[in-house]
Amino acid sequence: MISPRTLRNLKTEFRRSSLAQLGVLLMLVIIATAVFAPFIAPHNPTEQDLEQAHLPPVGVTITENNSTSEMVDGEMTIVMEEETINASAAHPLGTDSLGRDMLSRVIYGTRTSLIVSLLGTAIAATFGVTVGLIAGYYNNWIDDTLMRTADVMLAFPSLVLAIALVGVWGSASIAVPDPFVALGFVQDMPETFTLPGTVILVAGLVNWVWFARVARGEALSIRSQEYVKAAHATGADNPFIIRKHVFPNSVTPVLVLATLLVASVVLLESALSFLGFSGTTLSWGFDIAQGRQYLASSWWIAMVPGIAIVLAVISINLIGDWLRDALDPEMDEGESRGGA
Amino acid sequence: MSTDLIRIRGLSTRFFTQEGQINAVEDVSLTIREGELYGIVGESGSGKSVLGLSVIDLIESPGRITDGEIWYRNADIAEATRAEAPDAVDGDFVELRSLSAQARRSLRGQSFSMVFQDPMASMNPSLTVGTQIAEAVEAQRRARSNPRTVRSKTQNYGLGNYLSGLLLPNNDYIRPESRKRAVELLAQVGIPDPSERAQEYPHQFSGGMLQRAMIAQALAGEPDLLIADEPTTALDVTIQAQIIELLEELQQEKDMSILMITHNLGLIAHMCDRLGVMYAGEIVERGTLGEVFDETIHPYTEGLLGSVPSLDRTASRLQPIDGNVPSLIDSEMGDRCYFVDRCPKAMDECFEKPPEYELDGEHAVRCYLADEPDAELERGRSDD
Amino acid sequence: MTEPLVRVENLKKHYTDQDSLLDRLFRRDPVRVRAVDGVSFEIEQGETLGLVGESGCGKSTTGETLLGLREATAGRVRFEETDVFEQQDLTDFRRQTGIVFQDPFSSLDPRMTVHEIIREPMLVHDIGTSDERRERVLDLLEQVGLSPDHIDRYPHEFSGGQRQRIGIARALALEPKFIVLDEPVSALDVSVQAQILNLLADLQAELDLTYLLIAHDLSVVRHISDTVAVMYLGKIVEQGPADELFTAPKHPYTRALLESVPQARTEEQHREMDPIEGDVPSPRDPPSGCSFRTRCPSVIPPDGLDIPQETYRELMTLRERLQGSDSTIDGLLVDADMDTDRPDADRVIDEFFSEPPRDGTRETVRESIEQYRSGNEEQAVATLRESFTTICERDDPDLQESGHHVACHLYS
Repeated sequence: MISPRTLRNLKTEFRRSSLAQLGVLLMLVIIATAVFAPFIAPHNPTEQDLEQAHLPPVGVTITENNSTSEMVDGEMTIVMEEETINASAAHPLGTDSLGRDMLSRVIYGTRTSLIVSLLGTAIAATFGVTVGLIAGYYNNWIDDTLMRTADVMLAFPSLVLAIALVGVWGSASIAVPDPFVALGFVQDMPETFTLPGTVILVAGLVNWVWFARVARGEALSIRSQEYVKAAHATGADNPFIIRKHVFPNSVTPVLVLATLLVASVVLLESALSFLGFSGTTLSWGFDIAQGRQYLASSWWIAMVPGIAIVLAVISINLIGDWLRDALDPEMDEGESRGGA
Repeated sequence: MSTDLIRIRGLSTRFFTQEGQINAVEDVSLTIREGELYGIVGESGSGKSVLGLSVIDLIESPGRITDGEIWYRNADIAEATRAEAPDAVDGDFVELRSLSAQARRSLRGQSFSMVFQDPMASMNPSLTVGTQIAEAVEAQRRARSNPRTVRSKTQNYGLGNYLSGLLLPNNDYIRPESRKRAVELLAQVGIPDPSERAQEYPHQFSGGMLQRAMIAQALAGEPDLLIADEPTTALDVTIQAQIIELLEELQQEKDMSILMITHNLGLIAHMCDRLGVMYAGEIVERGTLGEVFDETIHPYTEGLLGSVPSLDRTASRLQPIDGNVPSLIDSEMGDRCYFVDRCPKAMDECFEKPPEYELDGEHAVRCYLADEPDAELERGRSDD
Repeated sequence: MTEPLVRVENLKKHYTDQDSLLDRLFRRDPVRVRAVDGVSFEIEQGETLGLVGESGCGKSTTGETLLGLREATAGRVRFEETDVFEQQDLTDFRRQTGIVFQDPFSSLDPRMTVHEIIREPMLVHDIGTSDERRERVLDLLEQVGLSPDHIDRYPHEFSGGQRQRIGIARALALEPKFIVLDEPVSALDVSVQAQILNLLADLQAELDLTYLLIAHDLSVVRHISDTVAVMYLGKIVEQGPADELFTAPKHPYTRALLESVPQARTEEQHREMDPIEGDVPSPRDPPSGCSFRTRCPSVIPPDGLDIPQETYRELMTLRERLQGSDSTIDGLLVDADMDTDRPDADRVIDEFFSEPPRDGTRETVRESIEQYRSGNEEQAVATLRESFTTICERDDPDLQESGHHVACHLYS
């Protein structure tokens, strides 16, 4: 499936392209952040401290003009006070409206985005590729039926469909116990981590069609290759051929598509959280939502998770570019007849 | 006594790629006469197609002609060039590589033209066949009518002219005379109902018909030399016979020279008076048909002739050549006979590249065996 | 007399074209494409039948349909007494047969190693253990002349000839009795072709294999075939022992084919080739009767008509042209000067025929051309047909039984 030649191409392209290196580096950072969140995060992201609310990030000083009315010498006067709010070293990226540490929230939010996007894409890919390969390989009424179904699905705007499904199924949040906390490696961190089940399913449901299309295209061209005919002549049955010949040869474009879709699902999850339809309160989208009302004042509440999303999507796209450039077109090293 | 038309001396074409320098054509010298059918025979990787492209100056980056001279006999051009570049002129001959790129480009179609292997791939599927041939005629007309336009990049036939042809009422991009000539050309190559067929698209033509149309297009400028690169390989045998007959007829009628590039030894035997055998970018043996086929010296030619099955079944077992074609990458080639690894008659001397020996008549061979045809040969063979 | 290993009886494979929903909406009738139209032959064990023909004749389709890779429209294939198409389960048949394809580049899965490619048939039929399979692959590699070191390499690391050897090794994996070779050397260089042909001959002798060799290159076919069958537009037009067929061909098409092949000898130079005219007709609309009649130089004139054969051939070509949808009188004159007035019928006749006919024949032709010019195309064609009909268009000749068979009215 991934032949040595493919690996070689990947390595060559990786060495050649600094953007690819950047993408991979960023992704490694993101993955490490998500996995080791309890160790990296300085505070419990769910711990509220109203005294410390709206603290700006380090390096930013907020001056607030508070007007209070006081009784001075028997008369009502308005006193303007300038209050300087300084950042606190304990909260390097500031705090939100409930005093929760932004840095910790963004770190934990990585988990949500990563898991949702990877799982969602995996579901979409598994289902979509299976459907697509079968449709393309048989290329008869099965193909027509499956593809028309896909077309119907495509007709729905994905966000609307997502919202509808969340509305119908509820958020199906699964509380997953955090292994590091459970094993006692870290104290004072949230014991469970919420997986927004519906969002993951929805991400899969909305995106499988793209995989189906690509897989079908590949299957159509592979089925007419002579090695498939040769396999038939050997006596292999269709499921065998699909497994052993059609699927491995269709992996390349599917892989590239998958990386692009991971980015797209990150955005989908953020959008759903923003709209309040996810099942978790610890996600980048959620923070953007709550930060929206404070954009003019405590802008960091929305900005920090926003930048995180941008970085994640950039990293995924750079990796997608790397894969695409390295794997496509795969140069055949054999000579062709009638050449020089 | 036929006069020389093209004299190629020491031509080398190299491709500078990531994998290294590829010596596609290496020190090739040959002469093509007027009205002659010269054959180049070779297998894939021999450099024969690149040789054809080099003559017509269609080698593109990362390749280029690095050495050698191509002398072309054309009194008019020789006269015109003599003043500016006297070294590039020798009597009626002009050395093509020393001309400007524009000058060489203007020769395409007028002096040299080319026909390729797959006609379906060489024709624009969205234009009618008649239009494509008429375009070629038109381009030639314009180029010839105004010699100064030889200097212009587009030769008076670029986008500006196209647009003015579309927009201005009396300014046709392709004049009616050109269209008429296109139909005449189609008739000349034996296409029935030429005026109807001219309005059809390439996909409506069969392979043989389309190849005829390609030939018609190549004849539009009345070239001195037609280069045919595997023109019948994609065609059925009975259609190939038609095309062979057509080319022979045309050649006689127009006294045109044809450089026929192919791997088909039978085709060469049928059509060509003289030929060259190419291997790994070099001409290893050349001469008249009789000399090369019946007085063969180079072991590769021998091997090639021995591996062709014949309709007579005179040999019950074919004598193929062991091994594979060598890589053409410069760093891997070395300075020895390129055939030495596969040669059944290899000798110690062969590890130094043999020069080209000229024998009686037209016969020339790049092999030490030419130097001692009757002596006892040491049988040595390097490990495979 | 042993029974032949393979017996094909009246095999047909038709496709229906223009049969989609949209075509039905537009009331377009489905078109029957007769790719293989009644092919019969036998192959004795240990022998090679060469199936020869140009593109579109149906030879590759015959090979694939015979092996059950395509569903036959009609006919029977007998392999060792079993009726192949009657079988529910073709597993046994598959074990005993193999196929080698033309294109060395697409016939091997680029993502599998040589080992995986060659052992696949054994996997499919669940033969041997993993080690035993690997052993067998190593044996096969040796047998086809490849180094055992290559076992874990990928196809793109090999040349065309070597890939073809891998394909042959795969076909041999299950020790089959019968192998279909579908243009096995067409995509290879001349010197490599020779290597592979020698290999195939050697293997046949060693393993007592039976071959169906499909090829368009007559010299290749001649080299390793015992019997040869020539196909044209889905039918076999001549069949017989290779030596006989090549030295004394009967069918005009076979003769034309042999004539057209240039031989690599000095005697070939400027040989009179006399190629046949025209292109192969479309299998959607084959000519009535004998499908070769539109190009046959020996098309049979009706009794009583006394004109030279060449003139009759040209007459038939004229009929074909007039029947064609987009012909004009002007178009008939290949060298016509477009600007002059429309040429008269006599001028057309004189220019079209190399030896213009006279008397009654000329009259009829002139009449037909006049009718055509006045727009009465159908009548024009009818006029010619009435006077110059040939048996070749009425009756489809049968392939005679016995020894060297020919499907041609010249021999009936």
